[in-house]
Amino acid sequence: MGRQVAIASAGFSEHASKRSDVNMAELVSEAVEDCLKNAPGVGLEDIDAFVNGNMPAFEGSNIPELWMTDWMGARNKPLLRVTTGGTTGGTVAIAGYYTVASGIPKVDTVLAIAFEQQSQGDTSVGLASVAYGEISVLNTLGIPYDQLSRLLSAGAAIGVASYQATNYMNKTKITEEDLARVVVQNRHNAAKTWWTHLKMPNLTIEEVLDTPYISYPLRYGMVCPASDGACAMLFTTEEKAKDMCEIPVYVNGVASVANESAVLGYDGSGTGQIDPSDQIGAMKSSDLAYYQAGISFPRKEIDYAEVYSPFPNQELMWVEKLGLFEETTAPKMYETGVTALKGELPVNCSGGVNSTNAIGASAMERPAEAALQIMGKADNQVPKTVHTSIGHGWGGSLNLCTLMVMSDQPKRKWR
Amino acid sequence: MEKVGIVGYYQVKLYSDANYGRYEMIFEAVRGAIDMAGLKKKDISTVISCTNDYYDGRTISNCFTVEVGGGYMTDESKVEMDGAHAVLYGLMRILSGNHKLALVWGGSMASCFPYHSTRLFETDPTWERPLAYVNDITSAGFQMRSYMEKYGVSAEEIASVAVKNRKNAARNPLALAEAQNVNINVKEVLASDIYADPVTELMVAQPCDGVAAILLAPERLALKITDKPVWITGVGFSQEPYYLGDRNLYESKSMELAGKTAFESAGIKDPKREIDVAELFESYAHEELILAEALGLAEKGKGANINSEINGDISINPSGGATSGNPPCATGLIRVIEAARQLRGEANGYQVNNAKKAVASGQIGMCAQNNILFVLEGGN
Repeated sequence: MGRQVAIASAGFSEHASKRSDVNMAELVSEAVEDCLKNAPGVGLEDIDAFVNGNMPAFEGSNIPELWMTDWMGARNKPLLRVTTGGTTGGTVAIAGYYTVASGIPKVDTVLAIAFEQQSQGDTSVGLASVAYGEISVLNTLGIPYDQLSRLLSAGAAIGVASYQATNYMNKTKITEEDLARVVVQNRHNAAKTWWTHLKMPNLTIEEVLDTPYISYPLRYGMVCPASDGACAMLFTTEEKAKDMCEIPVYVNGVASVANESAVLGYDGSGTGQIDPSDQIGAMKSSDLAYYQAGISFPRKEIDYAEVYSPFPNQELMWVEKLGLFEETTAPKMYETGVTALKGELPVNCSGGVNSTNAIGASAMERPAEAALQIMGKADNQVPKTVHTSIGHGWGGSLNLCTLMVMSDQPKRKWR
Repeated sequence: MEKVGIVGYYQVKLYSDANYGRYEMIFEAVRGAIDMAGLKKKDISTVISCTNDYYDGRTISNCFTVEVGGGYMTDESKVEMDGAHAVLYGLMRILSGNHKLALVWGGSMASCFPYHSTRLFETDPTWERPLAYVNDITSAGFQMRSYMEKYGVSAEEIASVAVKNRKNAARNPLALAEAQNVNINVKEVLASDIYADPVTELMVAQPCDGVAAILLAPERLALKITDKPVWITGVGFSQEPYYLGDRNLYESKSMELAGKTAFESAGIKDPKREIDVAELFESYAHEELILAEALGLAEKGKGANINSEINGDISINPSGGATSGNPPCATGLIRVIEAARQLRGEANGYQVNNAKKAVASGQIGMCAQNNILFVLEGGN
């Protein structure tokens, strides 16, 4: 049952804060063209099915795949739309994997596309509605609006992230300088990748620490931008991938384990009692995906990681939670250059979400870049040979997580 | 395609304005499906939900349904189409061999949002949405007119489909009360309010509140869980171009392609003869005819001439179809459940005699732009 899945190609559109030169459909079309350009000999006629997703509320379009059909080349072909918030890109990639792995009739090659054009809408308003339900409940409990900002439920993404950041900082006893160091590494890396948004090759830690707070401990210079962009990945069978590209990247493990919602809940959602820097969901996801891929010692076996971190504290947290480093040791790894381009375990050499965040696409850009590193085709290619890499995604109210484990070898058959 | 078993399902009673919450409804459906299979929450290895952020009125609405939907600490994901597409994703997860038991649920509360205004956000944002002349209702008017003109079908013949479905709905205890009517006649359907000429109110599958859930398992496991598994033996899905001018509205190209793939994978050569029950998602009465014709259950333009009553030539929508209640994101899933119910012989009141093979469909988009079809078989 099931069959081996391979990634044959990945492509991106150019990312910027306002891509006013294109509409959403044209933006998607850019990524599709780039993806097909990277796999010579593959045309739209070779694609059997499509998997799509974005954050529906941000651009004010519900199920935009319907009117974008022809821009993707999906006319008269199967199309599936999956969305899960911040993890949408990862979810789309995973759905692309399953579409091939399941062997459903007449489908071998799948184009997975994730996109976001945030300049067409208002992301903060969209994200505020994640918190809105809770706000109305708090109001009924007699908590006035002026006090809401003190509660984690207000302020959408940065509201919950700053709460997570202080929890993490308390556990690891790190300073803002450690956070800024992560940002600097990311922005430097982004400068070497063509499609990224915030390219800052000369950024220093002092400059980051000189910017004002948005919400303690996160400063303006530390948070991700809001980008327009799209990403596409080509999933196919083991046999077909060998004809489509030189080094097929095999998908050996996928997982998206959900935790309870981290914001104060009502009507059945989260208890609001959990520590958002605990991330049991991410730990479970990595357990599951590594088990599928036959990885027993993640730190030794994984050569490259792309993690989803709009905020620098999250990058430190994820590399620990995903089993790459011991708990509380990540800041040290950034200080000593272990995670740098030439380090032992490079992380986010594309600049990560911290430098480019087209939300719906971000969680797909992680596995896409991680796959390109294995193929040796990444712009900011790490000098060592990458055999195994991971691409991670985070979303929801800090409770959803996606993880894809890729390798240059097919899954070990003896599992 | 290897076959996958349906080992449990549950659908809540449909209401036009349910007086209990979305989360309670989801819990009831999920609990019901797990109980039917005699399993526990911990047995579920993956959960696929189907909701829509626009319908739920909040961004990432699925992150708040993790707990009630059985998704806590399981490998979960969400499909944002019809419930039938979520069944497809659940099916894919089982077929991949990564998972042993997949729970699929879908639904929404249409009483909480203006359904047709929300559907407007699915249209082309540049040319169509600002004017709102082309929307899900007017396009249905174009489609019905196009079908009538092309094949010379009368409005009475199409109204009789609505009559049949509303009479069938009266025998279905879970159907929307407003849709149940034993005494309805063609005249009454045609005399009801005009939605978009020639579509009238009683031809429309009215959005309502409801959630449904289904449990899928691979063959070997399904036989252990239940004595009466229902097998999904074929599946196909396809999407047409968007612009109405690019399509022939009197036929459904996407359903033709979906049907072809599904029938081929299930080894069905003559659907008209081999299929006993068809549960089709018809948003409007005329769509039932167009979809049935696309599947080869009737000749093109002759859909109204076959006897599609319960135990007729071929029983189409014995449960009342989407006309019996159309909870967005659940309707296609309910069609799969109804087909399974027929194959298990448990459709009390609207059971089709000796039902062995069935099809169930789901759709989204204007004029059923994206269609999905499942072929189901009963017996061990």
